[in-house]
Amino acid sequence: MQLEIVREVARAALQNLEAHRQRIDDLNVYPVPDGDTGTNLVLTLRSIVETLDASSAVGSEAVAKEVSRAALMGARGNSGVIFSQIVRGFVDVLARSDDMSTPRLRRAFRGASDAAYRAVKRPVEGTMLTVIREMAEEGERKENRRLSPPTFFAAVLARGEDAVARTPEMLEVLRDAGVVDAGGAGLVEITRGLTLSMAGEALPDAPVASEALGFDAIHLELSAYRYCTVFVVEGARLDQTLLERALEPLGDSLLVVGDETALKVHVHTDDPGLALSAGTAVGVVEGIEIANMHAQTFQREERLSEAAATLSPLPTLTTLETGLVAVCPGLGNRRLFEQYGATRVIEGGQTMNPSAAEIVEAIEATPAPEVIVLPNNSNVILTAEQAAGLSTKPVRVVPSRSVQAGFAAVARYIPTLSPEENEAAMLEALASVTTGEVTIASRDATLDGITIRKGAFLGLVNDCAVVADDDFDAVVKDVVGRVLEGEREWLALLAGEDAPPLEELLAALQHDHPEVEIEPHDGGQPHYPLLLVAE
Amino acid sequence: MNLTADNTAVVLDSTSDYAEAPSRFPNMRFVPLYVRFGDETFKDYTELGPADFYSKLRTSPVLPATSQPTPQDFLTTYESLAGYERIYSLHVSAKLSGTFQSAELAASELGGDRVRTVDSKTASLAIAMLAHAIQRRLTRGTTDVELAALIERFQRDNTVIFTLETLEYLQRGGRIGRAAALAGSLLNVRPILSVQDGEVIAVARVRGQKKALAEFERRFSEATEDRPGLRVAIAHADAPEWVGTLSELVWRVRPKAEIEFTATLGAVVSTHTGPGAVGFFWFQDE
Repeated sequence: MQLEIVREVARAALQNLEAHRQRIDDLNVYPVPDGDTGTNLVLTLRSIVETLDASSAVGSEAVAKEVSRAALMGARGNSGVIFSQIVRGFVDVLARSDDMSTPRLRRAFRGASDAAYRAVKRPVEGTMLTVIREMAEEGERKENRRLSPPTFFAAVLARGEDAVARTPEMLEVLRDAGVVDAGGAGLVEITRGLTLSMAGEALPDAPVASEALGFDAIHLELSAYRYCTVFVVEGARLDQTLLERALEPLGDSLLVVGDETALKVHVHTDDPGLALSAGTAVGVVEGIEIANMHAQTFQREERLSEAAATLSPLPTLTTLETGLVAVCPGLGNRRLFEQYGATRVIEGGQTMNPSAAEIVEAIEATPAPEVIVLPNNSNVILTAEQAAGLSTKPVRVVPSRSVQAGFAAVARYIPTLSPEENEAAMLEALASVTTGEVTIASRDATLDGITIRKGAFLGLVNDCAVVADDDFDAVVKDVVGRVLEGEREWLALLAGEDAPPLEELLAALQHDHPEVEIEPHDGGQPHYPLLLVAE
Repeated sequence: MNLTADNTAVVLDSTSDYAEAPSRFPNMRFVPLYVRFGDETFKDYTELGPADFYSKLRTSPVLPATSQPTPQDFLTTYESLAGYERIYSLHVSAKLSGTFQSAELAASELGGDRVRTVDSKTASLAIAMLAHAIQRRLTRGTTDVELAALIERFQRDNTVIFTLETLEYLQRGGRIGRAAALAGSLLNVRPILSVQDGEVIAVARVRGQKKALAEFERRFSEATEDRPGLRVAIAHADAPEWVGTLSELVWRVRPKAEIEFTATLGAVVSTHTGPGAVGFFWFQDE
């Protein structure tokens, strides 16, 4: 396995996947915005390609190791994690020699399939797992043994396509939704890229979207600096590296992307003026956005230091026993988790699943010997577990399936207690809540017996659709009524970025449920106008 | 030397919230700390009782602050106990207040070893419970050695858990200790705290009073057995409804326990807990 060849086929796979990303993203079982499989797979694969581009590994073993590691670190979402295991199983076989003959490829597919099944606690057929297994089985068929590698790939690919087409027969949720499995479809597109590349055939033109993704991902990273500064420099023969060098000393989270005529800059700094000067030195600066990321944190710190200065008989050194890393979407939710003591918050969730590497980084940056991770999304739990395995610190993943469930758990967090005690308290919190959400249906569907029209408000309770209607307030009232069933005392509402004004609705809810403490927060998450949790 | 209630005195400071001690036992004394609202200074309990304190707290434009008794305050008290051969002077944790240092200064000023100053490593009714435990032994006759062992065991075994409406008061007064990690007020969230090695620590965070009560019950029943000699105390800062609730809890969970004290927290302790605080104390004595 030679670096140049692996580089080339990986790029081809990525290019082909990029071309199909939107289609795969749209293969959602639920008509709700969810972890986007296409995007997750693209980002996972991109991590591999970028690692290979920067690599100078020599020899099969070294190349294989880098590919495996890059897949692990870049894995996003459940599909990304499973894909990373497929990659690992595949290249582990190829690592043993430079030989890339058909028999070795056959064994590589088998290795990939076995590794994927091992990674999943309860394998479900009709998913990516079925697709990789059937591809491995196809490779092992007698009549395929003598094929040349390109034709071998073509045969395996054909079987993979067939398997994807049959996924609705194996999984009822797919059949009901009228879609094929997205992870499986993604795996087939990746294989198609490999196949086309092996055969020396042309690849589809892929829309390149690396820039936007990079910015969104890091825009809200925690930073020691105060101002998030973004601007565009326009000019002629701009030098990306030179500008990077000028900006680097000013702060962190630096990103400079673009071409010779326009560079987009993102930097977290305490002195946005200096950053802008670096821009004006080489070109014309436009589209300036400066945000004070720490307004709230700073106010709090000032208040604390004032209090400490006036009294405090004895200085206290507080060391954390347990750190807390949380993944959540929306600025409001992020602040909420920070207020409750989360040591690191990673932006992400519904549609932007963080990579294992991002979670590892947050874990490592947490000033505590042990760390608890709240994934806050069912599609991030596997990634978090993967990150836990990659981290140098002992990590416990408390499997919160939603932001609002995580909000109930984070209330129990006490940094000065042991990880065991914190984990137990948070698990207890998760077990004692009911969650709900209100979203907007992205297409017509019938789900859990509810008929949903595209664009209608859809209410879910504990992940089951319970109501759909054009009247937002009616849907919320219905969901609240169900979430409060049993003896509930507390209800939190996290308003999304596109939530309508809630004052009247809140008053009505309080009137209907006078015994309940209703706690509204501005969550700011996308796609979900309202998230609810009752305890 | 055989120590008895006739030859041994017990001095408490007002953070014990046991102002009745001198009227109940002739060998006990109660030295107040000071609470200050702006320019006005009051002696805890003797000049400003809990009820007056809470109404003042509601109307005062400034927030109260506290200060420890002067060494002279203690010296005067010790000197007034001239008829006693031994004085046990019991005080709030030295990590929470300078009171213990004042007492030590006074004791060294007096010279000799007549005064034994004790850092209780806890606060409020726990100190009153220690005073009672000592008094029980004095009544039947005891020794310094036995009392030293009792005090050591008390420092190790006595438990207080308490909950506050907000950590703000504890934080502003600088008594927050290791619970500082929880600083900041959170809507509908109650911190459950304890005192360990003389310092405030956080043990849990819960939503609502019911959950707080459940947490008290869990910790109390896990840490105790239903045996005679189990003593309990309940204190609150202007939240009397908790006394009945917690008493019922004790009777239900540990019928053999004795509720030794129920009290309203005084001005000094309340200055650091804020209104709505509830403390639950226990100690397994003989």
